[in-house]
Amino acid sequence: MSQIGVDQWVEQSDERRQDYQGWTAPARRLFDKLAPGGRLALFLLVAAAYPFFVRGSDVRVGITILLLAMVALGLNVVVGWAGLLDLGYVAFYGFGAYFYAIVASNQLPAHWPTWIAIPVIVAASALLGALLSLPSRRLVGDYLAIMTLFFAQVFVELVRNFERLPFVSDDLNLTGGPNGIPGVFPWELFGFSFNTFHRNYYLALAFVGLLIIGLHNLNDSRTGRAWRALREDTLAAEHMTTPVNRLKMLAFAVGAGIAGLTGTLFAAVQVGVFPNNFNLFFLITMYAAVILGGSGSIPGVVLGAIAIAYTPELLRDPGKAGWLFYIGLVVLLVVVVRRWERIAATVGGVIVFGFIVRVVASGIWDEATMGEANDTFISRLIDDWVLVLGAQSDVITNYAFVLAVVGMLTVVVASGWWKIAALIPTIYLAVLVWENKLAFQPSITRQLLFGGVLVVMMAVRPQGLLGTKRVEII
Amino acid sequence: MKPILELRGLSKSFGGLKVIEDLDLVVGAGQIVHDDDPVVSQKDVVDDLDLSISPGEIVSVIGPNGAGKTTLFNLITGIYEPDRGDILMDGRSIVGLSPEQIANLGVARTFQTLRLFLNMTVKENVMAAAYGDSQARIWQSVFRTPAARREERQIAEMAERKLAFFGKRLMGYRWDQPAYSLSYANRRRLEIARAMATNPRLLMLDEPAAGMNPAETHEITELIGELRDEVGFSILVIEHDMHVVEGISDRVIALDHGVKIAEGSFEDVATSPQVIEAYLGYGAADRK
Amino acid sequence: MEFFLQQTVNGLTLGSVYALIALGYSMVYGILKLLNFAHGEVYMFGAFAGYGVLTILGGSSALVVPVWLAIMLMFGAAMIVSAAIGVALERFAYRPLRNSTRIAPLISAIGASFFLQAAALLMFTANSRSYNTPSLIAIETGIPLGPIRVWMVRVLVIVTAFVLMILLTLWVNRSRTGKAVRAVSFDREAAAMMGIDVDKVIVVTFLIGSALAGIGGVMVGLVFGRIFHLMGFVAGLKAFTAAVVGGIGSIPGAMLGGLLIGFAEAYTTGYISSTFQNLIVFGLLIVVLLVRPSGLLGRPELVKV
Repeated sequence: MSQIGVDQWVEQSDERRQDYQGWTAPARRLFDKLAPGGRLALFLLVAAAYPFFVRGSDVRVGITILLLAMVALGLNVVVGWAGLLDLGYVAFYGFGAYFYAIVASNQLPAHWPTWIAIPVIVAASALLGALLSLPSRRLVGDYLAIMTLFFAQVFVELVRNFERLPFVSDDLNLTGGPNGIPGVFPWELFGFSFNTFHRNYYLALAFVGLLIIGLHNLNDSRTGRAWRALREDTLAAEHMTTPVNRLKMLAFAVGAGIAGLTGTLFAAVQVGVFPNNFNLFFLITMYAAVILGGSGSIPGVVLGAIAIAYTPELLRDPGKAGWLFYIGLVVLLVVVVRRWERIAATVGGVIVFGFIVRVVASGIWDEATMGEANDTFISRLIDDWVLVLGAQSDVITNYAFVLAVVGMLTVVVASGWWKIAALIPTIYLAVLVWENKLAFQPSITRQLLFGGVLVVMMAVRPQGLLGTKRVEII
Repeated sequence: MKPILELRGLSKSFGGLKVIEDLDLVVGAGQIVHDDDPVVSQKDVVDDLDLSISPGEIVSVIGPNGAGKTTLFNLITGIYEPDRGDILMDGRSIVGLSPEQIANLGVARTFQTLRLFLNMTVKENVMAAAYGDSQARIWQSVFRTPAARREERQIAEMAERKLAFFGKRLMGYRWDQPAYSLSYANRRRLEIARAMATNPRLLMLDEPAAGMNPAETHEITELIGELRDEVGFSILVIEHDMHVVEGISDRVIALDHGVKIAEGSFEDVATSPQVIEAYLGYGAADRK
Repeated sequence: MEFFLQQTVNGLTLGSVYALIALGYSMVYGILKLLNFAHGEVYMFGAFAGYGVLTILGGSSALVVPVWLAIMLMFGAAMIVSAAIGVALERFAYRPLRNSTRIAPLISAIGASFFLQAAALLMFTANSRSYNTPSLIAIETGIPLGPIRVWMVRVLVIVTAFVLMILLTLWVNRSRTGKAVRAVSFDREAAAMMGIDVDKVIVVTFLIGSALAGIGGVMVGLVFGRIFHLMGFVAGLKAFTAAVVGGIGSIPGAMLGGLLIGFAEAYTTGYISSTFQNLIVFGLLIVVLLVRPSGLLGRPELVKV
């Protein structure tokens, strides 16, 4: 009988191992040395130290970041592990928040103590998630996505128009309609009230830590494997004893439960809930966090949440926003144009281009430079270079914006020196649009950024920053 | 003693095209049941098929492409429902059950087009198949209770044992490699290992030697024999390579256009005129 | 009776517009199995393009050209702008993902939709604009239909939409490129092996679908007056519903679905209340998805194991 599987190739496998390459190698080797527990401990340590070094309002920002991390971890279960595109996830978040707001405020006479409210709400959210998973038995992929999106819409409409539904009496103002529910009570456990930013921050941090550990364990268990198997090939998984429908329900339920829990905390910290908190915008925010960080990867999702939640804060203050914009511009430049001499050429070209434009424009038309520059370091620095428009700035900036977008697309398609040629006016136009409009419209900038992040990540690096590259056979 | 698997009068058509026609087959206590009621219905894909398999028996299903062999497998594992006829396991009908339920009853299969969990590691592929045999509840997994940890270890050890069947190829460093990094032959082996991990009594292999070179084919032939001898599986194999069929089969069944045209030992079937005609064309049996 | 006729005309008008938008969804899904979430924004930009042209030509009360010319120019501009955006979407947001997972293009589409909404907000602000159509085409002009008069604008919209749909059907069934589109919908690889330039066909599909949506946008502006940067979202959802109800991937299905949704909305608004119009339409979608996902005229997907 021949020997099965005795093979020289296999014997020498150890000699063929390849070490990390490139300039990220030392960091990655160090990262590997730390076991996952070590990385978590490091993260928790840094996060716990954070409030001591910052102002009170920044602690509030920290809470926002942690809440997004929690909700992203939950979404990761459904989208990242089980591969179910749930576009209605924001509704579970809203459900948890509204439920808590109703039972922990003066909206209704009922005042539930926290230790009762929270478990009930989490269970109810999980149940809702299980219900919403029922369509997933028959629908896959796109259809499921649409269905869940519609449910999210229905939730917002319901909450906004609750009193106006035909079978609801006028006295029962359950959801506060478009004005939401104000005056939500903070969490209170064992007589200890979580009524300051600091206390809520550590509460949220504790949850994040627990979720990370719990979910990591879950992923490494038969349930996690079953989820990933059902994502890989549902039919084959079913043949290998995986009860796929039950597991889809489980994924939805777990994700929904986490979202509901986060919702309650959100309501308590914001001291109120409003229908607009749970609209499409927040859904995109959650997805941006998961996609950017790396769907399927716990550290990735947390990192993504940090990046996505912190950005709007940066954008709010024109000075910081300016730094974000210009540093981002530099990073993009380096990434798109790898060679140093070309980077230098581009920068030089942009400067020259700017001066030319300025000279030409102010020659033709006085108003071209009459506008007031932003009161930030960089803006004042380049005040004499870029066109800060006075009148008609709206129209011109619009054209500039469109041209800048066209320019960006051209840069993607071009190569070699043509790329540089396209890049120069594009960068100039981007700076123009920024200084004249975007810098003081953080909400629009944020929206452009998040939408753009989703598109670019999918095209360039679908596995996100920390995810692993997937192979798919269609 | 009840046969493990029995097909009675199995018929299936797709959109007017008969794929299986009146098939009878018994994988049972060595008794072959013939149903001599040829129902000549024009539009069935699987037509009144009768088939039966004994425990520890290796039955090969051969036939030209399009004969309905994979459809037969799909009917047995519950992907399709038959139009007529019955499928019995241990004497009880399994028609209408989901593939997962049928898998839990002890039927495992591999796929003609390879359906591995490509982005999971080699070991995880095999471990994933142990779901039906394990019990850890969610909260036990989340908190990593001693019971859950113990079960995880057992599942991991079971996976290693299954993979060890293939020699050193799928062992050691290979365990943690993603399945997509495996060579074609290793992927086929992994799929068999994964099927074994469901703890089946009947193993259904769909063209296990497809695309393999002679050495690998020889290995597979030995392996299938070992699976039956050492582990006691009953095996139903679809195969095109006659060397493999000859080497492993206790019984061979030939299908053509969904109808069973021959059944018996390899020699009987290989020399049957209907089989020769099915493969080589009308009148080929006369030209010798 | 009058009321019923009025609602029917409303339904026909709405339905025609939804049909035009739904066609874009259906064609793209048929050819790429992709739900182009950003299609609603394509429609919205078309509406704004039309408005832009209207303004350049002096505005509804002070046109410098005859009305019919103005409207044709508005349609033309909308077609160009929408087609450009649609083609750009295909080239930059979807083409890189052609061989990727099924989820990736969806996420990209959502991101693109979001981005385009933000762009519109940046350029047009949140204020709505009005076509001010009564100044353009007096309400008194109209075609009598029994006890009511049908406003000329609505007649224009309905007739144009039907003409376009007929032209599209002829094109898809008779012309070379049209047949190529159908071939690629059936089996992309086989079509490529028959010598069809699949990339070009896909671009053409996006081009036509987007152009139609752009025209739809101008039509909405003409009939209902108000346009705003978020109009693409809800209209997009409803048109998508229409495409699914009719059978996504099927061109006649999109037309049928569009009309159905239009009538459903009109009758609901007329006989029940406008609060429920969205709910009814969405409810219709959920029912169809659960009962017959392939829609009224669609082909169920066959999967080979």
